[in-house]
Amino acid sequence: MLFIRTLTRSICTGNRNFAAEKSLLAALRKKTGYTFANCKKALEMHDNDLNQAELWLKAQAQSLGWSKATKLEGRHTAQGLIGVAINQSNGVMVEVNCETDFVARNKEFQNMVEDATKCCLRFIETQQKPQDDVAKFNLNTEQLKALHFESDGKSLADKLVLMIGTVGENATLKQGVGLKTSEGIHLVGYAHPAGHVENGLQLGKLGGLLAYKCHGQDSDHTDVAKGICQHIVGMKPTKVGTADDKPAPNKDEETCLIHQEYLLDDSVTVKELLEEHQLEIVEFRRLECGETVSSVSNQPLEFVETCQ
Amino acid sequence: MTSVLIARALAPAIHRSLKQLIQNGSIYKFHNYVKVIQVAAPQRQRRLYSEKKVFERTKPHCNVGTIGHVDHGKTTLTAAITKVLSDHKLAKLRQYKDIDNAPEEKARGITINVAHIEYQTENRHYGHTDCPGHADYIKNMITGAAQMDGAILVVAATDGVMPQTREHLLLAKQIGVKHVVVFINKVDAADKEMVELVEMEIRELLTEMGFDGDNIPIVPGSALCALEGKNPEIGSDAIIKLLKEVDSYIPTPVRELDKPFLLPVEHTYSIAGRGTVVTGRLERGVLKKGAECEFVGYNKTLKSTVTGVEMFHQILDEAQAGDQIGALVRGLKRDDVKRGMIMAKPGTVKSHDHIETQVYILSKEEGGRPKPFTSFIQLQMFCRTWDCPVQVVIPDKEMVMPGEDARLILKMLRPMVLEEGQRFTLRDGAQTLGTGVVSKTLPMLSEQDRIDLTEGKKAREKKAAAK
Repeated sequence: MLFIRTLTRSICTGNRNFAAEKSLLAALRKKTGYTFANCKKALEMHDNDLNQAELWLKAQAQSLGWSKATKLEGRHTAQGLIGVAINQSNGVMVEVNCETDFVARNKEFQNMVEDATKCCLRFIETQQKPQDDVAKFNLNTEQLKALHFESDGKSLADKLVLMIGTVGENATLKQGVGLKTSEGIHLVGYAHPAGHVENGLQLGKLGGLLAYKCHGQDSDHTDVAKGICQHIVGMKPTKVGTADDKPAPNKDEETCLIHQEYLLDDSVTVKELLEEHQLEIVEFRRLECGETVSSVSNQPLEFVETCQ
Repeated sequence: MTSVLIARALAPAIHRSLKQLIQNGSIYKFHNYVKVIQVAAPQRQRRLYSEKKVFERTKPHCNVGTIGHVDHGKTTLTAAITKVLSDHKLAKLRQYKDIDNAPEEKARGITINVAHIEYQTENRHYGHTDCPGHADYIKNMITGAAQMDGAILVVAATDGVMPQTREHLLLAKQIGVKHVVVFINKVDAADKEMVELVEMEIRELLTEMGFDGDNIPIVPGSALCALEGKNPEIGSDAIIKLLKEVDSYIPTPVRELDKPFLLPVEHTYSIAGRGTVVTGRLERGVLKKGAECEFVGYNKTLKSTVTGVEMFHQILDEAQAGDQIGALVRGLKRDDVKRGMIMAKPGTVKSHDHIETQVYILSKEEGGRPKPFTSFIQLQMFCRTWDCPVQVVIPDKEMVMPGEDARLILKMLRPMVLEEGQRFTLRDGAQTLGTGVVSKTLPMLSEQDRIDLTEGKKAREKKAAAK
């Protein structure tokens, strides 16, 4: 009899403990968003002390992210986003890649791209004003990784691995492109699909930057310039073109910007549009997400994204 | 059906003889006697290796797909399903690397990027697909390469719900998957309370995303254990349980044959002394002599009766979906009925001129247009036997690039028969632009909308400036 009573009691207390732990684990997971396995480990290490476990997790996040990033390194990243930002005479585009477009649609990833773009913009702002019209900057993966945030002193590489730790997918800072202009030259940016615009920052699968001069008195040229930038993103010209360039025989294969039909109104060419508004294009840049990545068939089977 | 009845009646006798057979060890255990009759006969024959097996249509077919994070074991689960079912002789074992044929699929060139696996449970036959990305799923949904009647969401117990799981469910909604079954994978690496918490979390998220979170079946298990044949309680048993849930929770799609009849009119003829005959391919349902029917399209609705059905100049009692037929209709003149109209059971179809669609725009390599397009472009929409000019409005973007999918609002110059799930093609002159599927029908255009439709760009701009 006594035996049974002790037994039931032990079961009861056992259950109660269990329930408490469960709610702790749930609370920790909800609060931090780290994986269940890590939350559990944190609780075990700190005798179910929620606050300490949370602190430990935060401290560990960086190293956990790094180990995850190392594990996933080399996996194919063909999706992603391009962040476009303009601040007066400074403009940047940053490409960040990930494995699936599900992640590219996720807020965590978008925040990361925004951070990277802002960071890159600040870097361009600190550079010297150019002597001639436009200064061009090209940043590769390593240079982007080395950029630091002013607010907390963290590098972009640190931010990236934190994000990798959360979404569990490989991601890379592919490249950055910057333009810095001298006085009298305007900058405009465009990202496609447009729609996501937050404090002057645009995100999309394609991005374009355009530097132009305005010779007319008309101050309202931003709409036209934005249209031309959209045209560049959509029509993929390879060069601005000069008066010496002859228009291509097949107008669908025209790669010279000034001879192309204007995207938003195909009754005029870009050249006619520029003349009408007295604009002159100085420089443009176009980025396409996943453009420079080698095709899938070249990679070994174990790196294909459906694996694991 | 009769054979089934006979089989049932003979069952005890066969059972007895079967027992002997099993004792002799010549045949494996089977699940029901009916199948023995179907399967035993071909098994005796020796097949040549190169010879292809004939597909036996004995069970209803259903298409499912796996969705989930890249590392949560979608492919392992697919391999495990075929492994467990192949033990029951219901599937061919597919190795992990066989399933993962994405690179080869991609190398083939055109866009469709799915691993296609077939297997069957005792109740149904399944086609199983797996696509790696959002755009791939959408593309397959639109082109009809991989229709999904239901989905299996895979979540690892060790990680729980990932930030992008939200996007996975959004996708399921977007492609019209209403029934989701959840598999919590990697239970062998987690403990019971973690599994319970993951389950809670999934239910919460499902409810938040507009699914029936409280009643969606959630099965915990380990695909890896099932594949390696370890711990049957979380391995093969869990897989069997998952398939049972899939069997019962995802409804069997209604076959075309069981729907009310519908025939897109291809031609009309006037036959002296008989009346008007309309020809076309019966798209769905069964058409009998004497059936009431309705012709809809071009702003008209005409009622009539089918007085005769013919195929290859022979009289037919009953035409079935897929038959190319001619139907004699009562009391209509030849000029009343035009190609493009739909003959259907009265009250089952409706005309629309304002629809929301999901469209995939072909890239240049696929034969599409090389440049993007913007709102207000006028295209020709082809569907069934009719075509109609439409004005395109892009609600979410400023332009659509070749090779992209997009949500488009189409405004048609005249109302035609359309329904949700209807596929169509968009063309511009001699060039195919893309293919799409109707996702929603919108309220009919008003008189003013209709006038605006025919307006030129200049008038539109003037109006916008005046506002």
